Amino acid sequence: MKLPRVLFVTGKGGTGKSTVAAAIALALSGRRPTTLADLDGRTSAAAALGATPRDSAAAKVTDSLDVIAMAPRTELEAFIERIVPIRAISRRMLRSRTFGYVTAALPGLEAFLLLERLRIMAGDAALEDRYLVIDAPASGSAVEMLSVSSGVKGLAPAGTLNRLADSIDIFLADPTRFGAIITTTPEHLAIGEALETAATLRDRLGIVTVAVIMNCLPELLFDTAELAAMSALDGHARLAIRRNAAHEQAALAAPRFAAAGLTTVGLPMMFTPAIGRAEIEQLRRALQAGLLD
Amino acid sequence: MKPKSQPKRQAKHHADREPLHLAAQSLVICLGPGGVGKTTISAALAVRAAMLGCAVDVMTVDPAPRLLDALGLAADSSEPVEAPLDGIRRSRRGGASNRARLRALRLDPKRTFDSIIARYAMSDAARDAILENRIYRNLSGALAGVADYMAMEKLLELAANPATDLLVLDTPPATEAIDFLDAPRRLLDLLNSRAVNLLGAPAGVFRSQLRVMDIAARAVLAAFDRVTGLNLLSDVQSFVRSFDGMYEGFSARAARAQDKLRAADTAIVIVTTAESSRIAQAREFIGALADAGLRVSAMVVNRVLADLPDASELASARIAPSLKKKLKRNLADYAALKTREEVSLSALRDSLPAGAVLMVAPDLGREPRTIADLAEIGRSIRAV
Repeated sequence: MKLPRVLFVTGKGGTGKSTVAAAIALALSGRRPTTLADLDGRTSAAAALGATPRDSAAAKVTDSLDVIAMAPRTELEAFIERIVPIRAISRRMLRSRTFGYVTAALPGLEAFLLLERLRIMAGDAALEDRYLVIDAPASGSAVEMLSVSSGVKGLAPAGTLNRLADSIDIFLADPTRFGAIITTTPEHLAIGEALETAATLRDRLGIVTVAVIMNCLPELLFDTAELAAMSALDGHARLAIRRNAAHEQAALAAPRFAAAGLTTVGLPMMFTPAIGRAEIEQLRRALQAGLLD
Repeated sequence: MKPKSQPKRQAKHHADREPLHLAAQSLVICLGPGGVGKTTISAALAVRAAMLGCAVDVMTVDPAPRLLDALGLAADSSEPVEAPLDGIRRSRRGGASNRARLRALRLDPKRTFDSIIARYAMSDAARDAILENRIYRNLSGALAGVADYMAMEKLLELAANPATDLLVLDTPPATEAIDFLDAPRRLLDLLNSRAVNLLGAPAGVFRSQLRVMDIAARAVLAAFDRVTGLNLLSDVQSFVRSFDGMYEGFSARAARAQDKLRAADTAIVIVTTAESSRIAQAREFIGALADAGLRVSAMVVNRVLADLPDASELASARIAPSLKKKLKRNLADYAALKTREEVSLSALRDSLPAGAVLMVAPDLGREPRTIADLAEIGRSIRAV
């Protein structure tokens, strides 16, 4: 599969975005140097790999994988420092409550600057032949964030921001530079949200969804006859039905994803007492087969 | 000893059954990160309170379509709609009350904000000036804090209704607990900001009143405007100016909202799930609320696994050995997940603020589609 430089991993809350982002980054790093960027400010993807990036400094996981934390606030600061090169004044400006209010009144500004940073990083990644995996916010906020440049164009009909907005739109719609990965679980709501997100990204922003990751798919154990045979074992039957229900949901979803032109990759449910490096390694292997080969 | 400990045990038993004392509350606020089922828990608690005989309003934010159906809400129900309670078994204790009713509504931040502006604006011209302002349009449409502030406004309006015993409030998903509770103060700060007021003033006029910081801010904003093409200065100023005279009304309401949050009959409930990243977030919420001097009444961990069946049942079951083996494997798989969940729950228990109860809401294994589903969740939320 031909992958873009930037893989933007989003999905409904609770579908394992961070874990999947970490596994994708690990899988890609077997091929090319890779950076995993945490956008949620919680560095949970990095933590799953046992690394803790601080501020914007990168932390190394392996020789070919590092993790960074990106914060909207940092991007705003960098932008202000570019506009106001005298550090004493820019620092003061950033500390000023007034300025805080103005930027709060323009909620898109920080998200916009974050996208601009991604655009620049994608350029660097192409030059250095690296991948960039983004552990993005949940799909609702992610779509809002990716749509921000049209709002900025409305606010700034001319000037630097307007020009940046144009280049961001082009960047997002370029399948060699940017693509989304949408995580879901075999549950009705999450599946619906994944389909809706993919459609919105494509129709409104021209963003390609590289793959939908069907996460937490338990291995199928029971056939219909077996389910019927255990009906007397109430509690056990319920657990078995629960396990099978995940498969039914996934089976129902498959034609819907196919009809929408979306590639799906299944990841196994980790029936383990914790999700750590070993589990992410296991997910990496599953991804290697489904996503990379 | 014995007679003394008896009533105590009874009281404890009672508290386990009704640890939130829903019938004694006038406001329940559900806070939590996105995607944990906050809206479901809010609705389930509201149904439970109605079953106890209370007249309940539940305000939801962005409910899933099925939940909307369950509550009998149309897509644009920004005024309360009565939800049918027929077919729901009332609890014995509340059965006698005929006050029981459940109304639901959806928060529409933009509409609420517009109606507040209309209420407090000094004149039609002032109102229109605000509604047309670019900053206002951004504020009311996109800024998360505004949805929070508007929920707070609507809360005061609904709480003022004497026919309602309990208001259950679902809140917009937040990364920080305090975003919601702090929203009124932030908006007021903006409107009351002397620096913002003076920012757009003609050079020289108010110079003597400007602090060095304000002058710097103004200079940089002006430069920022030029480079970015945003031309914000004049808009910000006219936005703040157009609120002249409205500040008092806003400020009084914000103060009332803050009082309401700290009232004895207000319960703040943090909703989370047992995933480790959510638990970490929930613990941050606890810390932030404590710093703000707010009392958390309960943590509800949503979608926990139901109790697992007994492994010994399998030994005596008359089923094929191959099936028996698979069932053992299935049980072991879910037991591992249960262990993961227990680790999360005990981490939460360790960070529970004094006086707060840890509660769990079991996973129904399906989405709630009806009031009866919500009643089932409501009934099964229990202290652990």
